Amino acid sequence: MHELSLAQGLLDQLLALAREHGAETVLTVRVDIGDRAGIVIDSFVFGFNAVKTSFQATSNARLEVREVTGDDLILIQVEME
Amino acid sequence: MCDSCGCHTHGHAEKRVVEVHQSLLAANQEQAEKNRHHIEAMGAVAINMISSPGSGKTTLLEHTLERIGSRWKVGVIEGDIETERDADRIRKKGVPVVQITTGGACHLDAPLVHKGLHGLQDQSEDGRFDLIFIENVGNLVCPATFDLGEHERIILVSVPEGSDKPAKYPTTFTGANTFLITKTDLLPHFDFSLAEARQEALRIHPELEILEIAAPTGQGMDEWLAHLDGLLARRQG
Repeated sequence: MHELSLAQGLLDQLLALAREHGAETVLTVRVDIGDRAGIVIDSFVFGFNAVKTSFQATSNARLEVREVTGDDLILIQVEME
Repeated sequence: MCDSCGCHTHGHAEKRVVEVHQSLLAANQEQAEKNRHHIEAMGAVAINMISSPGSGKTTLLEHTLERIGSRWKVGVIEGDIETERDADRIRKKGVPVVQITTGGACHLDAPLVHKGLHGLQDQSEDGRFDLIFIENVGNLVCPATFDLGEHERIILVSVPEGSDKPAKYPTTFTGANTFLITKTDLLPHFDFSLAEARQEALRIHPELEILEIAAPTGQGMDEWLAHLDGLLARRQG
């Protein structure tokens, strides 16, 4: 649960990474979501697509979710330019 | 150098892939572990009380504090979305209490409890306690996934809520140590099956300790105090 606040947390991390690497645009975001994490994937993707538009850098970011075994939500990889 | 036109001057966007491999859920867990050590350094055992709104958490605390008296040094952290009403009730029992109002969040989290621990120490001369009760925001769902740094997690379900609650909220019960069935003085007036509640809870979590309590009448309070005694006896350091 709390998919929206998790999506916002992800957004904060993406903006920080973009700043750190001097990138202007986040292109693709890959996350792993554990099947026991208690996170509804559709809601998380929906939340992310809703909040990403608040910032120029992330407004066209594509979120790719991989469902894995486990109880965590892990940011795996970010593609930026 | 720009790969497209070979120049050194302009900023063609360079596509790069950054490997991160970081948990987005880890932050609360890390703070929870710090809280646990902090609580132990205070000499205490912390209890996280989780239930739906109105199950009797604050009432149980009031009656518990009356029975404990000066036997143990107790501190209470109250969590609510709004108002200081619960902290006011606890304050009348003469015990250090901190009210955390989340303003909207439906559960306490480890960072909020960290602030609460410091608040309790500010109200105590030596900063040491035996028992710290953390009364979570009334909610049977969300608090279950946030470790606060507690040593014991207690779930309360009252008789009017129904004996199907353990079956309907398995995650909440899996993560708990103790299940309190409260307001048992109301059993004659409700269709609550103690057998069903116990059976379902143990099916989900066989190690669960189950107590039946009616704080205002005193029913079950001796066993509850003995349970707290046991927690303190197992305390390390």
